[in-house]
Amino acid sequence: MTWELFLLFFQQSLMSGLVTGSIYALLALAMVMIFNTTDVPNFGQGEIFMVASYIALVLLVFASVPYLVMIPLTLAAVFFGGAIFQRLVLKRVALARGASVNLVIATLGLSYFLKGVMRQTGIAEVPRSFPALFPTDSVSIGMATATVQDFAILGLALAAMAAFFLFFHFTRTGRAMRAVGMNPRAAILVGVDIERMRWLVWGLSSAIAALAGILISPKLLMTADMGIVVILGFAAAIVGGFTSLPGAVVGGFVIGIVENMVGLFVSSKAIVVAPFLAIMLVLLLRPQGLLGGKATAKKV
Amino acid sequence: MNAPASLLAIENLTVRFGGLVAVDHVSFEVKPGSIHALIGPNGAGKTTVFNCISRFYQPATGALRFGEHDLLTKPRHRLAELGVARTFQNLELFGELSVFENVLIGTHSQARRTGWLDLFRAGNRPGEHRDRIEHALEQTGIADVRHVKARALDFGRQKMLELARALAVRPTLLLLDEPAAGLRNREIDALDAMLVKLCRTDGLTIVLVEHVMQLVMSISDWVTVLNFGTKIAEGTPAAVQANEQVIDAYLGREQADV
Repeated sequence: MTWELFLLFFQQSLMSGLVTGSIYALLALAMVMIFNTTDVPNFGQGEIFMVASYIALVLLVFASVPYLVMIPLTLAAVFFGGAIFQRLVLKRVALARGASVNLVIATLGLSYFLKGVMRQTGIAEVPRSFPALFPTDSVSIGMATATVQDFAILGLALAAMAAFFLFFHFTRTGRAMRAVGMNPRAAILVGVDIERMRWLVWGLSSAIAALAGILISPKLLMTADMGIVVILGFAAAIVGGFTSLPGAVVGGFVIGIVENMVGLFVSSKAIVVAPFLAIMLVLLLRPQGLLGGKATAKKV
Repeated sequence: MNAPASLLAIENLTVRFGGLVAVDHVSFEVKPGSIHALIGPNGAGKTTVFNCISRFYQPATGALRFGEHDLLTKPRHRLAELGVARTFQNLELFGELSVFENVLIGTHSQARRTGWLDLFRAGNRPGEHRDRIEHALEQTGIADVRHVKARALDFGRQKMLELARALAVRPTLLLLDEPAAGLRNREIDALDAMLVKLCRTDGLTIVLVEHVMQLVMSISDWVTVLNFGTKIAEGTPAAVQANEQVIDAYLGREQADV
């Protein structure tokens, strides 16, 4: 490989990695939020992402809603969907002395439920493509090429992450959510209504997954199985330590860039295994994740 | 309406864990503005009583009245708003947050309730409550470490931080579970002065569970003694120290000579 080619591949994989990585980062963020406050990895997130993308598609294409209206409508619908699932199902499972394995199975149930419902509607019968929300003209940065749409995806995802950072640090509700994640007993003691925080977190997390769906769908072929992308969000969350929100973001970009580098430098067939390689390396060298803090034993 | 003579009234409180009766028909009252100690051997049910007051346990029978409120009808996250704060025997801090942020979260219950808008408003900004937070940090002597992460503090300061966070709740009733445990003598003296000041100057009512008798006897206005889940005595520190039953069950014979 010539130096020239190396530079091209390097820059291109960095560029593409940042774009897909921003989506993985959003998905990982959504995952970690839920894990922190309700102690359950949400295996239904892929299908929330999928259903949200179809809701957006239906609104945009079938109902001809302008996309400035479609986006808030979709986010709101998915927010309430997630919140209702927590209130209606998870809360009851937890009350019925649910061990965390029961909660996990409940989220798996959500995944099958949503996929089944989507198949029933018939919309997902044929693969569909989502209309581009932004121009797909090429732009060059250095040696790398990307589209205006790519920049829009990256920009909007970063803006959403910044908004969440501000929300978690500078609002009363955001701070209370972090408090619940760190120490639920102490949170109750200072007056945080943790049940309320839990459904709010499910709603917010689902809305983030929906945003990720709306942003990336124009670059994907939509099928009822598109939720599989969330596996990469899982990978990103693990790389970041699974309890750290900044870690989730870093993990997302790491997975995105590693994936693209492997695709260009090794082989496009190796892309599928790249994230798992990254997970294994992180787990071997830094089991608590890149930003997971010190591994400490929990007080009983 | 007559002002009630007691701020906190516990009547016939019974708590069972399976077949074990942890607290058995315990009644006592706490006068407003007093320091009330709850003492007794390990396993006597002191912390269990605390956990009932702060609604972590549901008692089998009994009544809990705080001012005009029937506590057993209140959800536990409402207690802070009503003015009940507590500390734990095993510290319960937000380890990853700074000292300042820990205390800031203590003000959570005081932000104006605005329903849905509340989700996005920047309420609970440090500015809104800065004076109270600063005051709590000063009172507990940890103002100089405000930017340090809670988990990085030494044990004594972690205890003070938990107390500062409880003060930020702006309580009328402060429940302290073994505040002196693990502290050095110098720190206990400081705690002694601090609690007396909170009570006499700021008008707080304090209930504490404590094994450090030097502290209990020096600051308490009233002492309730539990043994195996039942109340065996109560009275002024001097009366309790002279009580035969208390000496047998808890203080021991030698204590009288100390």
